[in-house]
Amino acid sequence: MESPFSESTGSIAGAVPVSQEACEQSEMLARVGQMTRNLHDNLRELGLDKVLEKASIDMPDVRDRLNYVARMTEQAAQRVLNATDTAIPLQERIDAGAGEVLKGWKNTFNAPFSEAGYRDMATLTMQCLVDMQHDSNATKQQLLDIMMAQDFQDLTGQVIRKVTDLAHNLESQLVQFLIDYAPSEVKRETDNSLINGPQINPEGKSDVVADQGQVDDLLDSLGF
Amino acid sequence: MADPNTKFLVVDDFSTMRRIVRNLLKELGYSNVEEAEDGVDGLAKLRAGNFDFVVSDWNMPNMDGLTMLQTIRADPALAKLPVLMVTAEAKKENIIAAAQAGANGYVVKPFTAATLDEKLVKIFEKLEKAGG
Repeated sequence: MESPFSESTGSIAGAVPVSQEACEQSEMLARVGQMTRNLHDNLRELGLDKVLEKASIDMPDVRDRLNYVARMTEQAAQRVLNATDTAIPLQERIDAGAGEVLKGWKNTFNAPFSEAGYRDMATLTMQCLVDMQHDSNATKQQLLDIMMAQDFQDLTGQVIRKVTDLAHNLESQLVQFLIDYAPSEVKRETDNSLINGPQINPEGKSDVVADQGQVDDLLDSLGF
Repeated sequence: MADPNTKFLVVDDFSTMRRIVRNLLKELGYSNVEEAEDGVDGLAKLRAGNFDFVVSDWNMPNMDGLTMLQTIRADPALAKLPVLMVTAEAKKENIIAAAQAGANGYVVKPFTAATLDEKLVKIFEKLEKAGG
């Protein structure tokens, strides 16, 4: 007779904690649900859901745009360097030709008069002028190509303006978010690295130099 | 001008900048120029060939110009090589760090042909004084 009783007591005793646990769990889930809801509402209130959605679309776009800028500027640099590589030897040939003709005429003037000498010099001069005409035309083509290579500035300028607008928008939204939610003390991380790249805006910064003169002055002052 | 056969190594990760420096050196009368794309490549070439002068960028992948400079100064075979830094790094602490590491000159980008010429002349003069 005892065993069914004790069994039933046991089952009742065991059932109580189980239902308590289930109760706590559902309460916790409800809390998490509520928090998620609050967070979602807050983000929506701040317009951050849209911002985040936009950022996830904009960021790959920015990357593509900056890649485009890198590609265009590199192409332009290569094009200009190719043009100067072609044009410099042409100019050197013009210079050498002029030197040769000049020297030839000086010798002809200094030597006793000979019609054959003048004739040879006239032929040489004419040939040289033909070469010079050809070389200076070819140089002009290279100069025009250098000019045309500058078209990247217009294209990259537009792209860069779009990227800076976008960065500015994101920045102001993030700053607003920080203002709303920042802890009272914000740690500022200072950048002490030696690899910073070109100084975009050296004016008013005491730890950077703005030109070669300042580099030289600094080294002089240190005795190097 | 120093010996026109002076053998230069130009170390920069951007091929356009290497071409510009190479062309400027050629314009200044030095046509014996080789190129390396970072510090590791630079050191390998320096150890393999008889170079007389190094022109190096700072910020490069694999090994930066400062580390390469320090390695050059620590290597007895290379220690006396003149090294001119040509870099966009314009913080005062960069310039001081390069000078302390033993750089013979420091040129900030963007630079002109005249600046490069002036620094080379100055370095060669100093070397001549030290040598003679």
